[in-house]
Amino acid sequence: MTIAARVSQRAARTVATRVQETQDMEARELPGSHILCEALVREGVDLMYGYPGGAIMPFYDALTSYPMLRHVLVRHEQAAAHAADGYARATGKVGVCVATSGPGATNLVTGLATAYMDSTPVVAITGQVARPFIGRDAFQETDVLGVTQPITKHNFLVKSIEDLADTVHEAFRLAKGGRPGPVLIDVPKDVQLGKGMYRPRASVSSIESFRAIHVPEPSPEAIARAVRLIASAQRPLIMSGHGVILSEAFEELRAFAEKTSIPIISTLLGLSALPVDHPLFLGMPGMHGPAHVNHAIGLADLIIGVGLRFDDRVTGKVSEFAPHARIIHIDIDASEMHKVKPAAVPIVADAKAALTALLEAVEPAEHADWIAEIRSWEAQENERLANATRDQEYPDPRSILDAIYEATNGDAIIVSDVGQHQMWTARFYPWKRPNSHITSGGLGTMGFSLPAAMGVKMGVPDATVWVVAGDGGIQMNIQELATLKQLGLALKVAIMNNGYLGMVRQWQQFFHNHNYSETPITGPDYPKLADAYGLSGMCITRREDVAAAVRKAMETPGTVIIDFVIEPESNVYPMVAPGSPITIMIEEPVEEVAHHD
Amino acid sequence: MTEQAAPTRAGQSDAHQDDAREHILVLFVNDRPGSVDRVVGVLRRRRANMQTLTIGRSELAEVVRITVVVDDSEVGVEQLVEQLRKVVDVRQVVNLSTAQAVARELALIKVSSTATSYSEIIELGHQFGAHPVDVTPETVTLEVTGSEEKVTKIVDLLQPYGIREIARTGCVAMTRGAADAGDSES
Repeated sequence: MTIAARVSQRAARTVATRVQETQDMEARELPGSHILCEALVREGVDLMYGYPGGAIMPFYDALTSYPMLRHVLVRHEQAAAHAADGYARATGKVGVCVATSGPGATNLVTGLATAYMDSTPVVAITGQVARPFIGRDAFQETDVLGVTQPITKHNFLVKSIEDLADTVHEAFRLAKGGRPGPVLIDVPKDVQLGKGMYRPRASVSSIESFRAIHVPEPSPEAIARAVRLIASAQRPLIMSGHGVILSEAFEELRAFAEKTSIPIISTLLGLSALPVDHPLFLGMPGMHGPAHVNHAIGLADLIIGVGLRFDDRVTGKVSEFAPHARIIHIDIDASEMHKVKPAAVPIVADAKAALTALLEAVEPAEHADWIAEIRSWEAQENERLANATRDQEYPDPRSILDAIYEATNGDAIIVSDVGQHQMWTARFYPWKRPNSHITSGGLGTMGFSLPAAMGVKMGVPDATVWVVAGDGGIQMNIQELATLKQLGLALKVAIMNNGYLGMVRQWQQFFHNHNYSETPITGPDYPKLADAYGLSGMCITRREDVAAAVRKAMETPGTVIIDFVIEPESNVYPMVAPGSPITIMIEEPVEEVAHHD
Repeated sequence: MTEQAAPTRAGQSDAHQDDAREHILVLFVNDRPGSVDRVVGVLRRRRANMQTLTIGRSELAEVVRITVVVDDSEVGVEQLVEQLRKVVDVRQVVNLSTAQAVARELALIKVSSTATSYSEIIELGHQFGAHPVDVTPETVTLEVTGSEEKVTKIVDLLQPYGIREIARTGCVAMTRGAADAGDSES
């Protein structure tokens, strides 16, 4: 029997067992490792990513008694954290990852920091050396609480078996409550091994507790002030962020924008909250935002920021960001208010609750002239794009994205990595499906996409999941191809391969006098690599073959890697130099003959 | 009504830190391993301009009282308070304005003394309510309690005799009147 078949057989057994297990609410004596599993089952966990090792072995021993807790063996703990993160982003549920003490735990760090920066709910469980050894530099001992303190919402060292179940429930409450984020539970080996009384009735899971479902409501006073500002605005913009996706406020956003006729711009992590073809959707602002969006910010007299934190990649030079605009700032996290841009009206609330309240309170309005003005700049921008000087032979990043959209009818979930391809994807992919854009925004973690996509695909099995990555980032967690094969999981992987660490090379070209220091990079023969892992691969070097290759990947079962060899030195345009106002952009060069004023 | 733009944030934004002044923050923190560490971590990460930090017991057995004095603008300190409130083990953060609060610190000052200077030092200390807690043929150690300004003043005046060592506790503070610190939060 193949491993995939064994896994599915195991999954099939889960339903019956789950009912039995979750209904057993009687107090009983259990080993700590079993109490841990019981608490996870009660939290509704059905999937986790991890890697066993010395200090977490009792937990793995217990795991075989809990077949409803499906565990995926990754090839590196970093991938476990990213996969849990991807699962959480795609499903809205808490993603779970597991690692042993010491190196296992430290390997989670990049993944936890990624989840922390992007506010995604992840619970990490790490083994720790037995309590008597803590603080004595034992084998594989690391102060993982100290290491992860700045990159988790909270972390716990479980000091006694009696605290285990409550700690797990509290961790889940914290991970998904308020502004979501990662929480780590460090469990010493002897706490896992020792026996204690498990009293399910004495603890409350995050699913059952009121605190987890409590949604901060906006204050009526703040809403009233916001409505007055909105009514008097001539050139308003809605700036939509990750908070809209985290609170699934897609409909509320659309309805509010349509009632007020206010055009919408979206941060990187806010993309796909609204379809790109919506008449009010303008695009992404900031360092690589199209010119019309950045110019709109420059002229706006009101910005309604929803679920975002005015990141420096969005604002550019802060003092010149939206110089004429007053700001209504909606965020669930009070500490985001006035952090970067002072808000005229701060609204500390869940995005969905705030948009619902605003929708009810605002009067319908028209902003046809303002929108027409922005659209006229967009038309100029599009003309410039059409005349850009590009080598027509190479597969063009945009042609790859268009082909993926066509072949999937826009229903795919796109998981991008970090770099030039990420910005091209954000800019040019015609987002249609809500929450179909998954990427590492805040931390900018290369190597995120492949393991995160694994979590996305397992969280939303019916969706087609495309990874779009650069040839640098894909090599950072390439080992997960083995996990995909073992799982029998079908991801489609498009590598935009330019033989450079492209974004760094672009900065070197613009700001470091073409000094391409350590950015040329080689990679494996991807079709051969895919073959070696038991997967399928193609290499595409001509633009005319792009669409057929994407279609072929869709028809081929299992994971398929397409190595698209793109123009080596193509750049992401426009670009705002770091520290510059966003209205001053480096624009794409155009053909002389096509240029006109 | 007219909407007033809030003052700008010092440090992270383009704002000037021209309105920086001293703020006394009192934190009530769960007495759990690592909870003080988390508070100090936030102060460091958020670049608080920390003057003093005092940790001690409170009226509740399971709650530690942390008093931290920071120099920051009004908006900057509001930001910091919100960041500190996010620490799970922090129960409450109160920004005590100096007008409403009694703020004190204690200092131990070890001064070189000779047979001739001994009585002068004792007399000087006496004017500040300081009393000797240890005397050797070569040194006098004075204990003084009071405002930060008072302690600084006596230190200055003792300087000519030769100060060997100073230990200052940093500020602890409490609201004046019957209200508890926890009640003064607006």
